[in-house]
This record gives sequence, C-alpha cells and structure tokens, in this order.
Amino acid sequence: MRAAFSDALVAAAKANPKILLLTGDHGYALFDAFRKECPQQYINCGIAEQNMVGVAAGLAKAGFIPFVYGLSAFVPIRVLEQIKIDVCYESLKVIFIGDGAGVVYSHLGSSHQSTEDIAALRAIPNLNILSPADPYELSYTMSLALNSEHATYLRMGKADLGEVHSEPVQGDIGALMPVQVNPQAKTLILATGSMVSVGSQIAKNNPNIDLYSVPSIKPINASAVLDICAGRNKIYILEEHSIYGGLGSCIAEIIAGKLLCDFKIIGIKDRFSERCGDYAYLMEEHGLNAMKLEGVFL
Amino acid sequence: MDSFNVKNIRKTILDMAFSGSTVHVGCAFSIVEILAVLYRSHLNFPENDVESPIRDYMVLSKGHGVMAQYACLHEKGYLANEDIQQYFKNGSRLKGLADAHIPGIEATTGSLGHGLSVAVGLALAAKLNKTEQMCYVIVGDGEINEGPIWEAALFASQFKLDNLIVIVDKNGFQAMGTTDEVMSLGSIEKKFAAFEFDAVTLNGHSEPELDIAINAFKTNKNGRPKVIVANTVKGKGVSFMENDNIWHYTRLNKETYAAAVAELQGDK
Repeated sequence: MRAAFSDALVAAAKANPKILLLTGDHGYALFDAFRKECPQQYINCGIAEQNMVGVAAGLAKAGFIPFVYGLSAFVPIRVLEQIKIDVCYESLKVIFIGDGAGVVYSHLGSSHQSTEDIAALRAIPNLNILSPADPYELSYTMSLALNSEHATYLRMGKADLGEVHSEPVQGDIGALMPVQVNPQAKTLILATGSMVSVGSQIAKNNPNIDLYSVPSIKPINASAVLDICAGRNKIYILEEHSIYGGLGSCIAEIIAGKLLCDFKIIGIKDRFSERCGDYAYLMEEHGLNAMKLEGVFL
Repeated sequence: MDSFNVKNIRKTILDMAFSGSTVHVGCAFSIVEILAVLYRSHLNFPENDVESPIRDYMVLSKGHGVMAQYACLHEKGYLANEDIQQYFKNGSRLKGLADAHIPGIEATTGSLGHGLSVAVGLALAAKLNKTEQMCYVIVGDGEINEGPIWEAALFASQFKLDNLIVIVDKNGFQAMGTTDEVMSLGSIEKKFAAFEFDAVTLNGHSEPELDIAINAFKTNKNGRPKVIVANTVKGKGVSFMENDNIWHYTRLNKETYAAAVAELQGDK
C-alpha cells in the first residue's frame, strides 16, 4: 500500500506543480521517488509538527496543495489544534497522511501507536477522514482527497496485508465497498483499514457473512449504510482503533433508532498496549487477529 | 482620507470596547503605531484589494489585539461603520479574537503560537511563486512562551525567508503578570539573532523609528528573516490604562470611557 501511495503522490505532484510534500523528518525510503522526481516540491520541515501544519495552512491559503506527512501518532494527534484552527476553520485544502495507524509500530509502544486518531478528528468540521484497506483503496482515496475542496486525513494502517479487492474501486466519497457480497447473509461485517483483510479471512470460510470495507469514514453515505444494514440479525464492526469514537460509533450513530439488531464493535478496548511485540503479537494482545475473532462469528 | 492618525485609531478602539462591552483594550493599544505604520506606508494591496493573490500579508498572531486591526481595516475602508458598531454584539461578524473569515485578516488567532507558522507558510509561498510579496507578523512577547514560535523561527532561517518581518510587541505583560515574573524572556533580540534573524530593537510607539526599520528590512534581501523587537506600553495612550494589566480584562463603563476619550482628544 505504501508503494501505491508513493506512486499516486509522485503522479499527482508531476501533474500539478502546486502540490507540495511536507514531512516532519519522516518517511525515509518512502519518499525516494518523490525526492528524485519532484525535488522542488519536497519540504522537510524538521522535527516540528505543530509548525509544519501552520506552514501548510499558509501555503494552502496562497494556492498550494500541501500533503502533510507524519506518523499518525503525531499527525493528527500532536497537531490537533493546528488542524482545527489553522486548516479546517478556513476549510483550506491540506491533505494529512497519517502513516502507521493503529498498532503498526508495535515494538515501540504506545507513543508511536495511534488508536484514537479517528475519534479525535471526527468532531472537527470541514475534514474528510479516509481509511483505505489495500492498494486499490489507497489510489481511490488519494483521488478523493485531491478532488475534495476540504482538508482530508488519510489514515494509512498496516501496509503489507495484500489486496482485499481484485480490481480498482471507484465511487463517490462516502461510498461503502463490497468485499464479500452475500446480500442474503444475516451477519454483516463493516470493516475499515487493516481490519478489512482480517474480516475477509473470516468471511471466506463463512457464507453467512456479508463484508463491506468502509474507506470513507467521514463523510459517509448514511442512506447506503442503512440500506446495507437493513434486515440483518447481526452487525459487527471491525477496526484497528479504539472502540470509542471510530467507525463503530459512526455506524451506531446512523442506525440508532432505525434498526434493531445485535450490534458489536470489535476494536481496541479502552486501554493502551501492554507488551512489546511484533504486529501479529499486538493484534493478538488486543484480540483482533482472525484466529481469535473466528470464535465470535461461529 | 488615508491618515492613520493614531488618536483616531485609539478612539475607534475605545468606541468598540465600550459599545461592545469587551476586554483586551490594553493589548490593542500597544500595537496601534505598529499597525498604523504598516497600513499607511507598507502593506501593499494591489487595486486596494485585501484579498488580491499578490497582496502583502499581515498576520496578527496576538489575536487578542484584533480591535486595533479592525480599526485600521476601518480606516482603510475595508470594514464599514456598521461593522465597527456591531463589534462583539450578537450576530456581529467581528469576533473578539482575530478571525480569518474577515477579509484582511490572514489567520485565526488567539490560541497563541499559531500565527508565526502560518506567516512562514505565506512567506514561503511567495518565495516559491517568486513574487515580491512581504509577510509581516505581529507576535506578543507573552506569546513567545509557546514552543511553535521557535519551531517557526528555525524554519524561517532554514528556508531563507528574507521576506518575513516579525514584529514582537514587547509590552512586558502577559495574562497573569509581567513577562519577567511569569516566564522571563531575557533579550528577545538576542534570542532571535541566535536563530539567525536580522534583529533590531526600537520604540514601538515611534512611527518614524518603525518606518525606518521596516524600510531597511524589506529592502534587505540577504536571505535572513527579520525581527523588530518593539518596546511598547500596554494600554498606551490613556494614562490610567498604561502598564496596568487590569485593562487586559476590564470593561469600560461610562465614566472610564468618557475619561479615556477626553484624554485622547486633549493634548495631554
């Protein structure tokens, strides 16, 4: 997925010299191609994320389209107020790339993990929140971000989980993307980011499950959500994010009072990671790997 | 008439503060001469359009002083009498802190430590576009407690933003006391100089001194950002407000308003 990101960014920047890439001294090998192809459009802002977002706001105000890259633990969390006031209040078009969302930086501990970013951003107006699941969705969400008049936060989670779709996806912003289509299934999984891959591992052995990816958390097509959720016995949300304030909360807000069903949000419980370990270890610690989850869906 | 008479500007501020029953008079008064000099002689708005894409930028990072900027925008004709009369009242578009939704105001400030970064972005944009646009930013001395100010200062030097002129309104007060009492700043000029700025200290109420310094800085394209440390008096212009931090918080009543107006209109 990171290769798809790099390709999309380089292509966009070559097509439009107003696109600038700002990084807070992150993204070492990721930006090799960008630095080679578009050196004039690359700005390393140093280890100073708050200033970087303010600078991006000034650049956007003057007609540039800044991409602001950081680890999602820092962009958006460390710079939340700059995003709110400098960028979103004026509805400036700045595209925030939060890399390594969720528990990707597993060995490094909670300072580098980001399980609260969606919740923190959802309450800020004039900001899209996009969460691609695979390279196809990455390309799609990049084009959504570039075509939007508003600021966008693009949440990049675990990047090497392969493809969940078999071909490029398209749709308006807010659309849901079918992954395993079984409209008669009484159990529906709505997943986002890395958890779409986990969901598809579970769904492929279970014909009674219908699985959709939700790459656009805000805005989201509420009527499409209601249509897809209608008539189900069970709706499960899968996300590598706190159970508070993420995709689950978003769906719950839409269906509350309209649909009656068993509804469960499966994500990071209200706690920090406890142990050191690799990504698979941390996903197990949080009960989010396919093996642990299969029991839930039996 | 484009006079930018500082007594008139202070009178407009008093009128706004009294009719709107609002605070922050002291920190608006300290930057009156700075803004008057900028708007009178330096800020270039092609075809008088404060939103022209090739305008000079003026970022008021210390958003609490916004009444002074409203008064200047009014002098310039960009804000109507009605706007000034409605300031701070229900339904007014003029809020108590600087708000970028108002043409002529470049950044939404008041949460401190934001404006210099936005100004740096604007100055960098002018450099990238190879225009002659200048970017001025007024920061408060209390405000430079904020870390992002120094992040932005590092950036401005690294990217050789010699079209950036930072003006520090050094009135010596912050919310809870003097800057010396709360978070002593030492030499602000030396601090910025250590960040590779060209720096000068002057009397922030002397229009000729400000004029000369700004002229010298804006013509000096030596690759270094500039800072003017402007020694000012909080509440300047009304004797009972000067250097009394209570006028950061106090609302005018009929008596204090009348006394202040009388003093402004007299010769002192």
